[in-house]
Amino acid sequence: MDNMSTNERQGQLIELRDVSRVFESPAGAVTAVDRVSLELPAGAFIGVVGRSGSGKSTLVNLIAGLDRCTRGSIRVGDVAVDQLDEDALARWRGRNVGVVFQFFQLLPTLTVAENVMLPMDLCGTARGAEARRRALELLDLVGIREQADKLPTALSGGQQQRAAIARALANDAPLLVADEPTGNLDQQTSTMVLDLLRSLAKQGRTVLMVTHEHDVERRVDQVIRLVDGRIGSPS
Amino acid sequence: MKPRWAKVAGDLRSERGRLLLMLVAVAVSLAAIGTVLGSWAILTRDIASNYLGTAPAEATLEFEGGVSDEVLTRARADQAVSVADRREVIAGRVRVGDDFRPLLLFVPERFETMRLNTFRPLDGAWPPPAGTVLLERSGLEMANATMSSSLRVKLPNGRPSTVTVSGLVHDPGLAPAWQERTVYAYATPETVAMLGESPTLHELRVQFASHPRTVVEAENEASALAARLGGVHQLRVPPPRQHPHQRQMETILLLLLIFAGLSLVLSSVLVATTLAAILARQVREIGVMKSIGATRAQLAGMYAVMVGSICGVAVLLAAPLSMLGAFGLSRVVSTMLNFDLTSRALPWWVLLVLVVAGVLVPLLFAAIPIRRAVTIPVRAALDTWGVGERIIVRPWFPVAVRNLLRRPGRLALTVGLLATAGALFMTALAVSRAWERNLEKVKETRHYDLEVRFNTPAPDALATTLQQTVEGVRLIEPWGFEPAALARPGAIDVVRTYPDRGHGSFSVLAPPPSTTLISLPLLQGRWLASGERAVVLNHVAFLQARTLKVGDDVALSIDGVPSTWKLAGVVEEVGSAGVAYLPSDVFASSQSTQGRSRLWRVVTAGRDDLERATVIRRLEEALSREAVSVETVTPFAELKTAIGDHVAVLIRALLALAMVLALVGVLGLTSAVGTSVIERSREIAVMKTLGATSAVVRRLVVSEALVSSALSFVVALVLSLPLTLGIERLLGMLSFLAPLPFVVSWVSMGLWFALLVVATLGATLLPIRRAVQLTVREGLS
Repeated sequence: MDNMSTNERQGQLIELRDVSRVFESPAGAVTAVDRVSLELPAGAFIGVVGRSGSGKSTLVNLIAGLDRCTRGSIRVGDVAVDQLDEDALARWRGRNVGVVFQFFQLLPTLTVAENVMLPMDLCGTARGAEARRRALELLDLVGIREQADKLPTALSGGQQQRAAIARALANDAPLLVADEPTGNLDQQTSTMVLDLLRSLAKQGRTVLMVTHEHDVERRVDQVIRLVDGRIGSPS
Repeated sequence: MKPRWAKVAGDLRSERGRLLLMLVAVAVSLAAIGTVLGSWAILTRDIASNYLGTAPAEATLEFEGGVSDEVLTRARADQAVSVADRREVIAGRVRVGDDFRPLLLFVPERFETMRLNTFRPLDGAWPPPAGTVLLERSGLEMANATMSSSLRVKLPNGRPSTVTVSGLVHDPGLAPAWQERTVYAYATPETVAMLGESPTLHELRVQFASHPRTVVEAENEASALAARLGGVHQLRVPPPRQHPHQRQMETILLLLLIFAGLSLVLSSVLVATTLAAILARQVREIGVMKSIGATRAQLAGMYAVMVGSICGVAVLLAAPLSMLGAFGLSRVVSTMLNFDLTSRALPWWVLLVLVVAGVLVPLLFAAIPIRRAVTIPVRAALDTWGVGERIIVRPWFPVAVRNLLRRPGRLALTVGLLATAGALFMTALAVSRAWERNLEKVKETRHYDLEVRFNTPAPDALATTLQQTVEGVRLIEPWGFEPAALARPGAIDVVRTYPDRGHGSFSVLAPPPSTTLISLPLLQGRWLASGERAVVLNHVAFLQARTLKVGDDVALSIDGVPSTWKLAGVVEEVGSAGVAYLPSDVFASSQSTQGRSRLWRVVTAGRDDLERATVIRRLEEALSREAVSVETVTPFAELKTAIGDHVAVLIRALLALAMVLALVGVLGLTSAVGTSVIERSREIAVMKTLGATSAVVRRLVVSEALVSSALSFVVALVLSLPLTLGIERLLGMLSFLAPLPFVVSWVSMGLWFALLVVATLGATLLPIRRAVQLTVREGLS
């Protein structure tokens, strides 16, 4: 599945219609996202905020194809994400979505460079020396090229998160999803990571970030505020 | 290397402890399979070049007056016959030290031109010069002889004479001499005449043009030929193309193969449980890989390669071990079959089976956890933090049980693995004990020390005299004896006897009905009474008769003369050929041998084998002075050895396999305990934060492992009982035509229990060390 075109990037990238996500548990059903409809533009830095349990991570997971909605429809670019089967979804995700986790989630047995090369290997976008060259470029972009051949455990939290961002950029995905990327970092490193994400948005990528940051409005183009699984007051 | 394979390599390194358990289990199981399968292949191949290479006769036609030239010419001209030879077999005795041992003297018409039941010269003369004999190599030790030794030999009608051993031969058509407790010798008709015996050749041995595949086909061909030739006294038709011990060996090898196959299944379960544990730890990594584009097929491929590479290494380790093991086991079995192994080489298909079984079977089992892991939704995978809670956990369960029930699947697999290993271990030990118990039955049902057979009936009065005069003889009881057959109306007698005259033989024994020298358990009907024309068959004879029931008439052909007897009962007689018991008085009058008997059973006052041997020697000397023609003297101890030696080594092989199974089971437990600790690192760290000491952690781990083991022990006990019953029945029927006694072996249960406790405590050592050394920070990270 090819990456989304530049035209798509400049128009509406993400469209949710009446999307809900209900979790079943022994204690009963919990509605994490409740009939959400929204449209998000391409090339914007968007913050998703809300209290703990408000459904913000679930919403981002649904958009990134990491989870499936219980009802409603989700389109990203031309693709009806909710219609894809598991493997088609994986292939689409690999090429179109870069994911950054709060706890970095680098694979501990791979070097930093290998972690970055892994999405290229899985999606077949680059191989061998070319993959390595691109991984080093990306690590250079996030400022940790000299850490390329170390294992993740040898890196600080900030460095690991930057490695994770490099990995998210490996297949030049137009959509970058970050779930509390600074939640596990100190203030100075957080600022560095947020600046990096902002610069990526400026380059044309859509960056969707779940965050607890208080002054998020100052840093992003658009904020989606969730309250009990519903859109609160967007700004 | 592609990053995904770099990850696989990294996982192999980081999980090396548990993967090593996997490797050992699969390699050991494969080595066991390779050993048994390889032995099977080698032995099957060498049966063709050994036993079948002797051109075994498909039938032996016995002529009372000998096989005349005219009969031989007609037989050779018969269209149904492809080869015909004349031969004689004489049962005699050979002096070894102060004792006599049974001797079978094979007399071919001409050594140079014999074409059936051939044997191969190994050393010395060929053919043996007059006055000398060749010895079968497996009987050298029995005869206490070497090349050029002088042997003192006594044939039924001759006087004791001395012959020289002029050569050695190998006769793969016979069971080993040491096993049958009989010396095999080969001589020319001239030598037989020199020993005082008639050189007449009574046996016409034939192979048929049709080469019958079944004993019934061979019997029909032989009966038809006998009718055409006329004058045939008896037909001997052993199972065609089958060594006397072949069926026993094949079945026991099959049993060993089943055990080895089960050990591979258990190892594969271990592979699956270990992999499941590794995957459980990697759920989040799987989630991450999926989130960056990994498909299910890619992920499944990665873990399949991980398992496949471990199994590949296991195959590489097992292949040379299998070759060594197969050759070793084949050599032992071939010695029992009196074979020579022609080559150490394993056929290519054995190695192919090893590769296919070693990689595919574990992969099939591993496919279950792999499928479960790669199909987990991304969100669920990313949200996984440790062991979940299951609805079946109840607050009133003991803590150890509650923890175990959090992973009911793994608990079931661990308990199943250990229980199967335990059941097979206990079964193997119980079968071994039942085998010994059966041999004890041989002793418990026979209360004499010696059996003497005469070539012609000896006076009963002599028995009374020698009982009073020979020091150490307590009782001599004369019995009637004649070789016999189950008669077929209007047809020639057919017996299944092999050329060694032992395997497949049938005879009539006529004890006084009140005898106390045997106490054979009654299976049906009742024992004999004096004066009645009744017969009691032992179970071997009863099985040959097939359709009889108590009260039916039984037609016996005694020394070629048909007679009818009423079936009074059936007894179990372990370790015997087919026997029909008749009352001595009625038998004597029917044979006109009143006051004379061909068999004595003797009780001595000897307290051990040494003392008994002394008494036996005295009795032998007395018989020699009386010039009575003795056919065989068989001390009871020899009989027990002959029966016990037949498959004893294979029983030991079964025990060795049981140890392999036990090892696989214990490795499984070790893996499960280790996994449980690793998965609950966070919980343990939390407990430590709350003040749990190392002792508390140790108790937690040990108690869970002990509960698993205890559960498995109960299941193993239940499983082992029907398994033991089935295998004892199979082995007993094959070896003795009667099930082995069902033995509930408390020793095997106790041994497995003790092994289980020790293994459980051992299996917890490393995981406990890990749990104790785990810092709170590491556990919570």
